[in-house]
Amino acid sequence: MNRRDFFKKAGIATAGGIALPNILPSGRLFAKTNAPKAEYVVMVMFAGGVRQQESVSQRYLEDSQDVAGGAGNIMPNLFKGPLPNKKIVFGTNPGNNQPDGSEPIPRLLSKSMEETGTVFKEMRAQSAGHYVGLNSLVTGNAGTSQGLKVRPRNPTIFEYLRRHAGFKATDTWFICNTIGNSYPLLNSSTNADYGLQYGGNMFAAPYTFGGIGRSILGNAKPYSKSDLDPMYFMKNFLDQSFGLTPDQLTSVKNTDDERTQIKEFVRTIFQRQTAGQIVQPPVTDSGDAVNISYAAEVLRYFKPKFLTVNLSGVDGCHSNFTGYLRSLHRADHAVAWLWNYIENNIPEMAGKTIMLVAPECGRNLEPNPILDQNDWYAYDHSDANAMRVWGVMMGKGVPNMSIGNENNPTGRLTDLVPTIADIFGIYDEVMASGYIDPLAKSLYLRM
Amino acid sequence: MRNLQGKIIIGFAAMLLWQACSKEKKVTFGVVPEVVYEDKARKNKRKSDAEYISILYTNLYQVPISPNQLYRTQNTIFSIGDRNVASELVLSNYFNTQTLKIPTNTDMRSNIDSFVTNTYKRFFLRYPSEGEKTFFKNYITNNNNVTVEMVYTAFASSDEYQYY
Repeated sequence: MNRRDFFKKAGIATAGGIALPNILPSGRLFAKTNAPKAEYVVMVMFAGGVRQQESVSQRYLEDSQDVAGGAGNIMPNLFKGPLPNKKIVFGTNPGNNQPDGSEPIPRLLSKSMEETGTVFKEMRAQSAGHYVGLNSLVTGNAGTSQGLKVRPRNPTIFEYLRRHAGFKATDTWFICNTIGNSYPLLNSSTNADYGLQYGGNMFAAPYTFGGIGRSILGNAKPYSKSDLDPMYFMKNFLDQSFGLTPDQLTSVKNTDDERTQIKEFVRTIFQRQTAGQIVQPPVTDSGDAVNISYAAEVLRYFKPKFLTVNLSGVDGCHSNFTGYLRSLHRADHAVAWLWNYIENNIPEMAGKTIMLVAPECGRNLEPNPILDQNDWYAYDHSDANAMRVWGVMMGKGVPNMSIGNENNPTGRLTDLVPTIADIFGIYDEVMASGYIDPLAKSLYLRM
Repeated sequence: MRNLQGKIIIGFAAMLLWQACSKEKKVTFGVVPEVVYEDKARKNKRKSDAEYISILYTNLYQVPISPNQLYRTQNTIFSIGDRNVASELVLSNYFNTQTLKIPTNTDMRSNIDSFVTNTYKRFFLRYPSEGEKTFFKNYITNNNNVTVEMVYTAFASSDEYQYY
């Protein structure tokens, strides 16, 4: 080899040595196109169909049930405004022969999210249904051709983050509140360019960690690393020998270490249940509070860069308006508690996290004929009013602003994926993927 | 003339009767006994969760799983995003019970060749290739900490076991 060849080859080898460790699954060099705005994002898919009137508009019973003087704010942690002073049914039972629900849950945050973050008061949902609505929130696509009982057709935020930002599987989590309604399928799409190999981890927490899950998983052996290493070594040999192609994958892929970590987490949760150590909001009389509790446990244990959790208690509004009000008040309480928990109990995430909150759809303007125990009408979700929603952002670097109003709708639910991409510095790649709603853009660009 | 017609009819009928009464030929078909095993390359259908669980349970306990237990296990696996993690957790619970019907570690080490072949037949319904047999034989021989439980967990959580 002459001197010229030597320098040439040495140069190529050095450049390769520098570049190779930075090549991401997307095939591009270096992870970020612009500086990240925060290190962690938590997205709350809020509650299961929320009417503007009882939430951001703070009309309580005045619009829905024609109770004169019945306006007021029943979501004091998210929005600024006084509580209603008439017919309080959404709180807890104060005892002493007082009516059930007459004591509102004390506000957890010293200032509402509206006073510290940015509120988009009038956004547009892309669907009046739950599953497609949730699809919009996790894919950034309107999902007009999305079917039920199938994974999203378009890539999810989990896949964008794993493919373009190089996140590990355990960096991205979906904490799902049920095994029904196809919701557990939202952690990955069937898209050929992305798919399960980039999917996020998921627990349908109330089931996994509920009575049935415990009876099936609660007696697991605590394997040590010296037990697991040979098992994984042999399993990897068998898997390589079988050679599944990406389109044949049956599950999200974690590394051996990540799988060990998840199993240890499951074991820890059952131990913490037994010891009564599961963290939880002060008021836990709703399924949503339970799901939020496990979201907090996942945040505490894995400190994932991105976690989304869905709530659906308010969907009882199809047949019980009083229950809907109670669930709305509790969901507000649970979200505030989760924010406080992150800021006060997870030092790695405190001050570095942005929380996004938005319902997947609204509810109708006109009620259905079903009356509840207070003779109040119930509401479904299928008309134009069900496309009216709001969004809240708060946390690291988020300005205190109020954007849009009933006459000036600003923002779409499909904006949330671009916003998360923007926060993590992969906005351009995600927008260029071709799978994002053409009308969507980062909420930062709407401020 | 009429007599002749009668004779022809009787003759025809007799011919038919003679034809119909011909002796039946005895044909014996033989089947060569052959045990059929699956071919790895042809396993392209994914087992459903219910199939996976019932086959696994029967494999380990040698009795069928109850419908109630099957339903609960199926839903629990569905509630976890990584199916492999879920399967490994279910397996780990099974191995923590006393009623499993599996060989002992002594059995395994007394005849590793036979153990490996039987494990492939038990889980994958096929014989191991020479390469596979050699790998497991060497690995088990050279690692004294490898147990039947570890080998079975690797097989039961492998990709091939998810397919048929």
